[in-house]
Amino acid sequence: MGKSKKGQKEKLENVLYTLPAIVFVTMMMYIPFVMSGYYSLTEWNGISKTPKFVGFANFIDLVTGDKSYLTSLWFTMKYTIFFVIVSNILALALAVVLTKKFKGVNVYRGMFFIPYIMSMTIVGFIWKFIFTQGFSKLFETTNWGFLNLSWLGDPKLAFWAVSFVGVWQSLGFYIVLYIAGLQAVPNDVLEAAVVDGCNGRQKFFKVTLPLLGPSFTTCIFMSLTNGLKVFDIILALTKGGPGGSTYSATLQIYKVAFTDNNYGKGSAEAIIYFLVVLVITQLVLKGMSRKEVDL
Amino acid sequence: MGMHTKRKVWHVVMIIALTLIALMYFYPVFLMFMNSFKPFGEIVADPIALPKAPTWENYSYVIDKIKYGKLFLNNVIITVIGLAGIVAFASLAAYILDRRKTRYTKFVYTLLITPMLIPFQTIMITLLKAMSVIHLSGSKVGLGIQYWGFGIPMATFIFYNFMKTIPRELDESAHIDGASTIRTFISVIFPLLKSVTVTVIVLDVMWIWNDFLLPLLMVNSSNNTKTLVLAAYTFVGQMNTKWQYAMTAMVLTVLPSIVVFVFLQKYIVEGVVAGAVKG
Repeated sequence: MGKSKKGQKEKLENVLYTLPAIVFVTMMMYIPFVMSGYYSLTEWNGISKTPKFVGFANFIDLVTGDKSYLTSLWFTMKYTIFFVIVSNILALALAVVLTKKFKGVNVYRGMFFIPYIMSMTIVGFIWKFIFTQGFSKLFETTNWGFLNLSWLGDPKLAFWAVSFVGVWQSLGFYIVLYIAGLQAVPNDVLEAAVVDGCNGRQKFFKVTLPLLGPSFTTCIFMSLTNGLKVFDIILALTKGGPGGSTYSATLQIYKVAFTDNNYGKGSAEAIIYFLVVLVITQLVLKGMSRKEVDL
Repeated sequence: MGMHTKRKVWHVVMIIALTLIALMYFYPVFLMFMNSFKPFGEIVADPIALPKAPTWENYSYVIDKIKYGKLFLNNVIITVIGLAGIVAFASLAAYILDRRKTRYTKFVYTLLITPMLIPFQTIMITLLKAMSVIHLSGSKVGLGIQYWGFGIPMATFIFYNFMKTIPRELDESAHIDGASTIRTFISVIFPLLKSVTVTVIVLDVMWIWNDFLLPLLMVNSSNNTKTLVLAAYTFVGQMNTKWQYAMTAMVLTVLPSIVVFVFLQKYIVEGVVAGAVKG
């Protein structure tokens, strides 16, 4: 009797103390998620009381219609691939240098990290100023051709400008992750490698790199999800232009829903986006967890 | 001797190269600060030179124009509300979920952390509708509360993983002394979560303070409820040729983060690393 009473009380506590978390997560995430699923099957301008049920028409329209969503997905893929590769290579290279011991190393680390703590919108604005005002002035003094290009006005160049700024903003984040990984490589293993006759390069590629497995997994995974989410920087830099050439999937969803007032189609895009992100991240995660090396 | 000197030279070359790269890398931030001290004509004439006669004039104009004090306070209110709920509810839930392994708690754990897979943009359209139905849109407090729902999954995950490292004997002896579950949690367990709480706070402050899209959807309609980033976005949009004011507004927006970072670099970097590795 006493025992079951205690069991009852524990059960009640389990529910009571997890309830706030459950309620808010359900309200902010699950309910809107289910609603998105429903609205993706409707035609709805956000104002009329009852959305009109249209089945899979929105999804079919995304593929057979004006293709702007597919273009934005393709842009997001290209951006993400660039972002993941360039961020990780540069961050690792800089982390290797920044783990060496010298005076003021924390100041250097800070200089690379500060853009990461700034709002992405502001980062976008700074670079807009540099691309439009700063570059032309620099060109006057240096005469370097690349400074005279219309980085935000030419659809082909705008992709590189946006991607570059994306990397610039968050490089510091990946640098500190790689620094943490490099510092976790045990010294005795490195010394043993030297004793066994490894030179500096061999030591790095044959010993350090394989032991950085967990850092690679973390950094690649984080850069992947952050790349797929790109939004603020583009909004501040190009607003999707010129000629719609820098619309990311997220920006496209935003535009269709809130500028074109096409909530049904926007929801359909949102659902597709969710599935694409889910499949890509899970595949990459599976692929990487198999490759990690243990000591 | 030869080997040693060669090493030293190589070291010096590396430091010089790194210094050049770091300066170039940081230059855009410096450029923004520098231009905020120039009058309009000077920015247009030479955006990359140092200011000839630095002036605070832009600052007094912009601080007054965007009501900086109020915006700053709005950001503080929203961030504090968001943070308080995330830390309190996620740590408490994580405690119960780790200590009481039942079918119910296993299910709740999955329920709470699965939303980490849902990108915000997937739900933003319907979120706006759902939040206006329950009157959480259009207000600072409402926005702060919304962050609970988005922050709890990751925070629960981080707290849950840390909870395993706290010995159960502590709860049991508190229990024998007659403390209730909630009492045990507040006075025995929570103080031991300090390091992981710092991680959660660092991650969530950086996120909420600088967040753009959620405030844009929820509190953009009134100047009373705008956040700093949001107001800067609007202001810079309006000032798109008056670069001197735009630059100043941008500096004022990022300055709090930079100041905090300079003083708390160690904790912030540690928190970010811990959050990424655990999350």
